[in-house]
Amino acid sequence: MAELRPTSSPVVVVVLASSEACDRIVAPEGAIAMRIAPREMLLVGSADAGAEVLRGALDEPSAIVDDVTDGWAMFQLTGDDAREAFARVCELELPDGGWVQGEVARAGAKVIVEPGGLTILVPAMLGAHVEERIRADAAELLAP
Amino acid sequence: MGSLEFEGRGVPFKSGDTVASALYRDGLRTFSRSLKYHRRRGLYCGTGDCPNCLMTVDGLPAMRTCTTRCDEGMRVERAGGWPNADLDLLHVTDSLHRVMPVGFYYKTFIKPRFAWSVAERVIRRATGLGRLPPTTAAAREIVRHEHVDVVVIGAGIAGLEAARDAAAGGSVLVCDEGRIGHAVAPGPTLDRLQALEAEVRALDAVTVLETHTALGVYEGLHVPLAGDGDLVHVHPSRVIVATGATEAHAVFPGNDLPGVMLGRAAAALAGVHGVRPGRRAVVAVRTEEGLQHLQTVLDSGVEVIATAVSGAMADRLPDAGLGEVVVDGEVHEARGGSSLRSVVLRRDGRAKRFDCDLLVLSLGLSPRDGLARMALPGEAVTVVGDAAAEPPAEACGHDGIVCLCEDVSTHDLEQAWDEGFRNSEILKRYTTTTMGPCQGAMCGRALSCFAVSRGDVGHRADAPQAPRTTARPPTRPVTLESLAAGVHEIVDKRTSLHELHVAAGAKLDRSGGWLRPFNYGDWREEYLAVRERVSLMDVGTLGKFTLGGADADASELIDRLFPCRVADLAPGRTRYVLSLDEAGYVMDDGLLVRVGEHEWYLTSTSGGAGRTDARLRNFIDRFDLDVHVLDRTAQWGAINVAGPYSRDLLERLTDDPIDAEAMPFPGFTDATVAGVACRVIRTGFVGELAFELHHPRSRGPELWQALVEAGREWHLVPHGLDALELLRLEKGHVYLGQDTMPDDTPAKLDMSWAVDMSKPWFVGKMALERMATLGLARRHVGLELTGGPADTAELRGEPLLVGGDVVGRVTSAEHSIALGRAIGLGWIRSVDDGFPEELVTGSGAVATVVPTPFYDPGGGRMRG
Repeated sequence: MAELRPTSSPVVVVVLASSEACDRIVAPEGAIAMRIAPREMLLVGSADAGAEVLRGALDEPSAIVDDVTDGWAMFQLTGDDAREAFARVCELELPDGGWVQGEVARAGAKVIVEPGGLTILVPAMLGAHVEERIRADAAELLAP
Repeated sequence: MGSLEFEGRGVPFKSGDTVASALYRDGLRTFSRSLKYHRRRGLYCGTGDCPNCLMTVDGLPAMRTCTTRCDEGMRVERAGGWPNADLDLLHVTDSLHRVMPVGFYYKTFIKPRFAWSVAERVIRRATGLGRLPPTTAAAREIVRHEHVDVVVIGAGIAGLEAARDAAAGGSVLVCDEGRIGHAVAPGPTLDRLQALEAEVRALDAVTVLETHTALGVYEGLHVPLAGDGDLVHVHPSRVIVATGATEAHAVFPGNDLPGVMLGRAAAALAGVHGVRPGRRAVVAVRTEEGLQHLQTVLDSGVEVIATAVSGAMADRLPDAGLGEVVVDGEVHEARGGSSLRSVVLRRDGRAKRFDCDLLVLSLGLSPRDGLARMALPGEAVTVVGDAAAEPPAEACGHDGIVCLCEDVSTHDLEQAWDEGFRNSEILKRYTTTTMGPCQGAMCGRALSCFAVSRGDVGHRADAPQAPRTTARPPTRPVTLESLAAGVHEIVDKRTSLHELHVAAGAKLDRSGGWLRPFNYGDWREEYLAVRERVSLMDVGTLGKFTLGGADADASELIDRLFPCRVADLAPGRTRYVLSLDEAGYVMDDGLLVRVGEHEWYLTSTSGGAGRTDARLRNFIDRFDLDVHVLDRTAQWGAINVAGPYSRDLLERLTDDPIDAEAMPFPGFTDATVAGVACRVIRTGFVGELAFELHHPRSRGPELWQALVEAGREWHLVPHGLDALELLRLEKGHVYLGQDTMPDDTPAKLDMSWAVDMSKPWFVGKMALERMATLGLARRHVGLELTGGPADTAELRGEPLLVGGDVVGRVTSAEHSIALGRAIGLGWIRSVDDGFPEELVTGSGAVATVVPTPFYDPGGGRMRG
């Protein structure tokens, strides 16, 4: 079976900076750095890796660093059937670890793959839609 | 044992039976009526390739009964025929070829003009493969995606061997539309198949997926497999097509009579299902497997009275029971009425008739290569086994049915050829040969051979084979459920206040991609709350963007991108902006907020957020500016607090100054409201004192509830889009998309005040300059409406006429509560170098052009 749980625990920080500055960013312990564009990064992780920490580390006054956690709905999909449940709503090929981005139930998503399961991030206004789709399309795979 | 219901009567079936085998055992010989001429059709291919056994099964039309397994209580009926498939009086059309020749719909029922509409109805009732169940909701099919190194399509001997070999190099998925070996008669072939199946199933790298039909090979590579209740999207690195071959469809007079059967169908009936396919048979053999079929038919107790065999195989025939052996003989004709009665074999110009009820044909193999032919050049698609085999050199045949699905005969092809359709592709389009359910599996090669034999203009003389027509998905009949599987056409965005709206009894509907409240029960009361007291509206759907970056680049971007004055906009102030494209057409609108010297905040319409984000990024690249865009649409919510008491309400919840002096119109400030950090923006869309509170999405519900609670003193009720429709109309504000057209310029919308043509450059300026020299041919106007229907809103969409000519259209219309009269917006065209002032709507209401805003034209209430 698989289990789908909404979560709010990861902090999402966006960094808009020069590509050179983005190149220099090292994800803090416990965070995953997603380079989603040449001058744009998302860092997903614990509160210790928050915006203030990054802003201080980034020596570029024109950069925008902001906590955008509110902009994302996040779900954890865990259990033996997590990947199969995920494949009901997404054609992305999941790696063994790391992250990928693409459409999950037609919502632009980032997917973090860890040994314990998947963390799915979608824009907050599509969170209800994505959760409903996963629960409907993978109903028999999900724990009630 | 079990029983199915066939056209109202019970028919027993045995374990492993297909619907067709059970019906055949029960004595059924007419399995269907042909599409056009209602000719009787019997069980023919037995492999799911031809259209003859298509029936309606449990309400689903066009099911291939020769590959559909029996289930207890299954309801089966034939689709064609009136009053039924056995009697079918519509068979009279078979003698009306002159009225309905090939391509008749291009030639007949043309005059008088109503003839076709009558004929079409009659023809549609008389033809077809069944009716879709009109009241049954489609079941939702599961969709899943599989990523493998190799997909093997077809689990016959070649497919299983290919899967086994490919397993050494990675993951393999091997699929088959049936169950492995279930239609193969006992013998060496089945033994080999079962051994291979065991070998493949033991491999960890191989997944076997039975009863899943490959619908096509798409660019990517991508192979969708339709199963019973699910659709599997396979994303492989390589595709191996191992779909085998069909037995060749032979064309001769009477070739479609019930009783004429391909070898595999006869062998499956006899060897797999234990059904004797006939009493007296003529067998024609030219293939290796045909020899096995002959033996299987003999073993089932059929009396074979004649065997036509190629010379090369004559010495390998069974020793006894073959009747008269005609070496190198050919089937010249099949004769009969409702079913086969005799077969004429011919050799060396001499013909001989044999009375029989079964003709078994194993005359060659025709590669089932449709999937392979869908691949683009260079794609990793390979073909193995019989699907890759060279088809036998064959003639098209004569005087028979070429296309079983569409009832196209050799005479029809000859007629089309004589009419000038001299290429297999256009013959296909004109005659519809290969365009039926079999998708050319039976007739494709015969069509090509016909075209080549007549001198197909598209055929190169040195080409090894006759050119096949284009193969397209789907290769097999597929239900609409499968095609729709996984398609989430409706994706509703929801604000953080959604649950509060639901709890408040809001009527929610879709607008701009969002689920939004249209009203909370009484839109007039909501309207009055805005005009007389205070109200809230959830406007979190608006597009919201922060722009910043190095030095003055963000300011330069704004200045070049938007047509309004920007340089004089001081930090802390806001301005209404139009977005124009390069052609000067209005794409969107919003509010521009100067947060700091080089930091900007921009809003767009709810439906225009995605487009605005893309446009900003596009022009940053084009102008090569160092600007960052942060789309906050998902991150921030927004609540509009509107009404004469809106400031009083907010002052109860904030310690920050929001009075007219500290925050004049149009302006903004960052303030803490009810403990929530907000960007507070003065707005004027509804024409009253109003403040938009942009806030972190997660804090939205508590902010909303605090506002509702504090607003009780003024009998606050929230308002939805229904009230907003009138509120903004009274101010003469357009709804982009509803009131505007794709080629509306600011001048046409009477919004030139939002454009500063003195700026050196902005997107769309050159187009506006050019258009300014042409004069206005159309413009948007305010309308006062009198004498119309009781519900003024019914005028929306009506044409506007002058002297009986349509010169415009009403785009918005409502009865104004504030003004006590009917008002509207619309566009009108120039008439005789001027714009009319008095018009009439389509229903007779008088529309008088008036200036806008209708309500509070001085804007005092909004600026309060």
